[in-house]
Amino acid sequence: MSEPGATTVDMGVDVAGLRLPTPLIAASGTFGYGDEYRQVADYDCIGAISVKGLYLEPRAGCPPPRIWETPSGMLNAIGLQEVGIRRFLAEKLPAVRALGKIVIANICGSSLEEYGELSKVLDQAEGVSAIEVNISCPNVAEGGIEFGCDPDMAARATEVVRRGTRLPVIPKLSPSASDMAAVARRVAEAGADAVSLINTIPAMAVDVETRRPRLANVVGGLSGPAVRPIAVRMVWEVARGSRLPVIGMGGIASAEDALEFLLVGAAAVQIGTMNFVDPGVWRRTFDGLAAYCRRHEVAALRDLTGAMRPGTAG
Amino acid sequence: MTLSEAVGGPGPPRADRGATLVARDQLSPDAQLLRFESEAPLRVLPGQFTMVRVDGGGLLRRPYSFCDLPDDGAFTLLVKEVGVGTRALMNLPVGGEVSSLGPLGTTFDLPPPDRTPVIVAGGVGIAPFVLFCRRLAESGRRGIVLLGGRRRPDLYLWDTFERFGMDVRVASEDGSAGHHGFVTALLDAALADTVRPVLYSCGPTGMLLKVAELATAAGVPHQVSIERRMGCGMGCCLGCVVWARPPSGGPEEYLRSCTEGPVFDAATIAWDRDPHPL
Repeated sequence: MSEPGATTVDMGVDVAGLRLPTPLIAASGTFGYGDEYRQVADYDCIGAISVKGLYLEPRAGCPPPRIWETPSGMLNAIGLQEVGIRRFLAEKLPAVRALGKIVIANICGSSLEEYGELSKVLDQAEGVSAIEVNISCPNVAEGGIEFGCDPDMAARATEVVRRGTRLPVIPKLSPSASDMAAVARRVAEAGADAVSLINTIPAMAVDVETRRPRLANVVGGLSGPAVRPIAVRMVWEVARGSRLPVIGMGGIASAEDALEFLLVGAAAVQIGTMNFVDPGVWRRTFDGLAAYCRRHEVAALRDLTGAMRPGTAG
Repeated sequence: MTLSEAVGGPGPPRADRGATLVARDQLSPDAQLLRFESEAPLRVLPGQFTMVRVDGGGLLRRPYSFCDLPDDGAFTLLVKEVGVGTRALMNLPVGGEVSSLGPLGTTFDLPPPDRTPVIVAGGVGIAPFVLFCRRLAESGRRGIVLLGGRRRPDLYLWDTFERFGMDVRVASEDGSAGHHGFVTALLDAALADTVRPVLYSCGPTGMLLKVAELATAAGVPHQVSIERRMGCGMGCCLGCVVWARPPSGGPEEYLRSCTEGPVFDAATIAWDRDPHPL
């Protein structure tokens, strides 16, 4: 039986020079090094995987407790525990490449030199398709968010990565910047091919009985559906205020959530915290997007980017 | 065949299964044994756990040890009220649905035939040992089970362990059952009664630490199940870490209690590294 309008929808998108078979990207820090969910998530629905943030050397990360659930969200202060770029390339990358997915390496540096060095190493690596530049982690002592809040620093980090590689460069922006569109314009001048946003929002919670912070790091990053309306607004501002393609994220749990980001201007979206909640989110979101396109007679999903209409929903 | 079916890892296959609550046994005022039936038969090894999602139980899934697999497709969970997640499960009506992601994590290894298991469990820490003792009993073997709790009602499933033929010895902090005090006070005698013991423990951190000290002093191998707050259970959120030596050797690092654990060789854990882990 064929439903009315049950034609094939073109679900592919182009962003930062990458042709993704679906607009759904696994968000860095929520999907390990890419193959951890292979038994329970439907990888056919995943357009690309952004792996856990990488430094040159392995990092132990923050002491526990590292996570705390909040209303419709979670706080985390992992502190970028990771294996270092060399072990990633030798041990982790082959496993995720074997899954046939587009791999985006997410990098973080504690200095501009480290960003540049990581960029050069990845440029020589086989099987990495793009570099997402983490200039927005709230949980590390140096680098991270301090680059992302200052347009000049963000541009310098982007520039040094740009100089090291021919791969597409995608700075991941901090919601803590006072003018994210200004940061996006500066990283565009510095050679970025796209931007991704938002990273987590600095936040905290306190146990009133013990009068102690919930996280050992005291402050963590808030993610999950709780941040989504903030993220949608920020994607809208950046998409309007710069010429760069935008990869949107923040609490996406369904096709409807993903559509909000697309309509305000995202070319692709990332799914993060909801991986923890429901590995079935990939299939549900993908199917829901295709069904929406059929219902609205949209032949190619990419046509929805920035397709929000004027006026109000009423 | 989808890609995700094509690439299985070692150990029993994982899945996110729908499961229906079919029976509830109120073991004490604040603890329940919940029996679920799932759509497909489960293969689970003792010590493994499941991440459960239930309506009204918060955003993130919550980890529970598989307590027992009484029949094909059925599993039980031992749940004690600690917060919104456990409360939602304990208020779920019979016939209600959850989703159960698992089985996850490392396992308690049955001891070699020439060694005798000595289990030390506190409160809901007994959960993984029901399946463990079922497997022991199926191979015609016995062990010593030391159960501890605050009061007599907290010595959950005492009779189940006896039915499996285990030598059950109990302690309660208020003296209402067995030894008056901590369960670890029973350990010296249990080890003295045992030829070539192997220790297994699960429960409050203070208890685990004491068992680990005694095990080290007596030179007895010791597997311990560590509970930490978890976000995903799949090794990706890195929320549940324990500072320990990796099984493959090398220096201590933060290992994931969902992936390198929850069952660890107790001798590899740096117990003093993070004094307030929960």
